[in-house]
Amino acid sequence: MIAMKTQITDLFGLNVYTDRGIFVGEVEDAVINVDGKKIDSIAVGNLSPEIRESKGYKGLRIPYRIIRNVGDIVIIRHIPNAFRSSSTEQE
Amino acid sequence: MSTTFSRSLAKKKVMSNDGILVGSVRNIMVDIKSGQVIDLIVMPDDTFDTAGYQADGDRILIPFEAVKDIRDYIVVDRYLSKKQM
Repeated sequence: MIAMKTQITDLFGLNVYTDRGIFVGEVEDAVINVDGKKIDSIAVGNLSPEIRESKGYKGLRIPYRIIRNVGDIVIIRHIPNAFRSSSTEQE
Repeated sequence: MSTTFSRSLAKKKVMSNDGILVGSVRNIMVDIKSGQVIDLIVMPDDTFDTAGYQADGDRILIPFEAVKDIRDYIVVDRYLSKKQM
């Protein structure tokens, strides 16, 4: 479990899931907005093959604002139509 | 807006705005809930006088507020970097 105030390296290696329980990938790095003094996005690698158009990309930058929670894993908001399986379920 | 990968900051040298070498970055403290960057965790250089700085073992904490710019070096404001949070 990660405390509120934490070292940024503690995030690295955490698994990223959406709030519908779909695996996205693994946190590899964080992008910092130097002027805003905030985390701008997280760089996710080891991407799930379920993600559409992940072909040819090694990673994905996920904006920090869609992160719901960080604990033993990172939970992000579900992105409609980003995943193969979820989009077929809905349609 | 200047953005940077946190891994590219690792081991970057920290310089104060009066030209004194402070040390090198070891880690970054963040607030997970808000995404706010709080402190730089810096391993001070042997020649650097750490008096007045917030210490954590042999490392010092420099509030991110003190950061002026990040290019080849991380430049921090000499007075703001000593401010206690």
